[in-house]
Amino acid sequence: MLLEAFVFATIFIGFFGVILKKNLIMKIISMDVMSTGVIAYYVLLAARTGFVTPIVTEANDVAYADPVPQAVILTAIVIGFSITALMLVSAMKLAKDNPTLETNVIEENNTP
Amino acid sequence: MTNITIAWMAFPFFIGFVIYLLPKIDRWLALLTGLVSIAYAMLVFFSMPSASDVLPIQLLDNFGVTLAVDQLSAYFILTNAVVTTAVIFYCWGSGRTAFFYMQAIIMHGSVNATFICSDFISLYVALEVLSVAAFLLIAYPRTDKSIWVGLRYLFVSNTAMLFYLLGAVLVYQAHHSFNFAGLRGAPPEATAFIVLGLLVKGGIFVTGLWLPLTHSESQSPVSAMLSGAVVKSAVFPLVRCALMVEEIDPIVRFFGVGTAVLGVCYAVFEKDTKRTLAFSTISQLGFVMAAPVVAGFYALTHGLVKSAVFLIAGSLPSRNFKELQSKPIDTKMWIALTIASFSISGFPLLSGFGAKVLTSKNLLDWQVVAMNIAAVGTAIIFAKFIFLPHGKSEEQIKVQPGFWWAMVLLIGGLFVANVVYYEAYTLENIVKPLATIAIAWVAHFLIFKRLSIRLPRAIEKFDHQIGIMTLMLILLFWVEYGRNYIS
Repeated sequence: MLLEAFVFATIFIGFFGVILKKNLIMKIISMDVMSTGVIAYYVLLAARTGFVTPIVTEANDVAYADPVPQAVILTAIVIGFSITALMLVSAMKLAKDNPTLETNVIEENNTP
Repeated sequence: MTNITIAWMAFPFFIGFVIYLLPKIDRWLALLTGLVSIAYAMLVFFSMPSASDVLPIQLLDNFGVTLAVDQLSAYFILTNAVVTTAVIFYCWGSGRTAFFYMQAIIMHGSVNATFICSDFISLYVALEVLSVAAFLLIAYPRTDKSIWVGLRYLFVSNTAMLFYLLGAVLVYQAHHSFNFAGLRGAPPEATAFIVLGLLVKGGIFVTGLWLPLTHSESQSPVSAMLSGAVVKSAVFPLVRCALMVEEIDPIVRFFGVGTAVLGVCYAVFEKDTKRTLAFSTISQLGFVMAAPVVAGFYALTHGLVKSAVFLIAGSLPSRNFKELQSKPIDTKMWIALTIASFSISGFPLLSGFGAKVLTSKNLLDWQVVAMNIAAVGTAIIFAKFIFLPHGKSEEQIKVQPGFWWAMVLLIGGLFVANVVYYEAYTLENIVKPLATIAIAWVAHFLIFKRLSIRLPRAIEKFDHQIGIMTLMLILLFWVEYGRNYIS
């Protein structure tokens, strides 16, 4: 229960970072924090049933961790990482003309 | 059929990479992919003649990927295929590089994948691939503006998808399965998170107000694909869930009505052609969602019209309606624009009429008034396009060589699609849309043409768009919570 609260705190800290931080890089990092929270939640739920790595061994009768959420979140980690990479590249490109990378300035310059 | 489906789903991704290896024949390969998808959609229509036929596919083991193909998917697939093919025709002589075609085809493939997914995780993967491909297409000109518009899109959709992932794991926790059917009996917060993610991604209601800027500032062929096919990738799962789980149905219908009215309210006051079209997309998605049973046909007719009009809007001499009043547009182009506008207004002879009749027959009582208002609003929006002056223009605008091929395909499709619901042609059905259009045109000339109100755009700002997600999340949570614990 306490762990769950911490995980949700991470998610919402990340989310409010996206809204409240002015700098584009900080926003991207906040989104990554939020994404970390979501990943942690999957891992936490997978560990509800036990902690043993779900690999078939001789001792079959132990409390395994649920492998499905872990497998699923692996995909999400890779996707999240590639999207963050794309965003950072865009931030690099935008930094040439907007060196402070403040989103409201970038938005003002680029909205018709 | 199972093997064909899997081969067809993988085909665009395979071709996407082949295009990059063989850049000389990029356009031909892209065109081939579009045609293959059209053929597949037709195959589904012929092999599953009844609307209740479903082809369920379970890949790997119990926890593997689940897919489901039925007529509803076939309509959406056909929409995507025709729009992509038309866009490839449009871009034929434009000198775009292999990179553009590669991204367009990968986007086509991922949109296709969303239309046959029936579990939350496959859907998540398809939607994320789609975001990346769409971002690369929006940012294709590499100007600061296009990069910012793309980045903003990627940011909003990725944040929404994180909420969606949270919802997906809550569904898994309740049922030990990610299947769409798991929404039944899932905790209220699961539904709230998932619906929020899909609403934002699909550009629906206030959470969809990121859409006008993205769709209007992209290049015309990209806007055509985004508005014609891509937004439907998030609407489709909502519709599918509404059909599978009756508890979701009222929520989807409610947001359908909300977005239909909100979209027209913005669009009637808009003075810019592409922004008008983008707001109209927000409103038309409402018509798709308002009657989930017949969503497929409406999505098809909307996709054809919207991509045609976006391609035409990109070839007009100006984007401002005021300036267009003094610059007559080419008569041939005006005819294409008028046919498309008539279809979306619901004029008989075009398939938009059948779609409107079919949707209005499947509305619930509480939806009728609002949807009629939205229908009049739609006709007002497109009256702005119909009554543009036309004639021999002094300055010849260079039209892309493939432009007319794209128009033939899209507008021909509007005529051919009439066969789907030819029973609509009864006297009673014909009078109502004509009356709607008449009221709308009177309103256009008496009121809206003379008004010049600029609605504030503050809500479209990036920070506000993210912030609105919290408000929407609270709203959805209370709706769900109330439904679960009060009833």
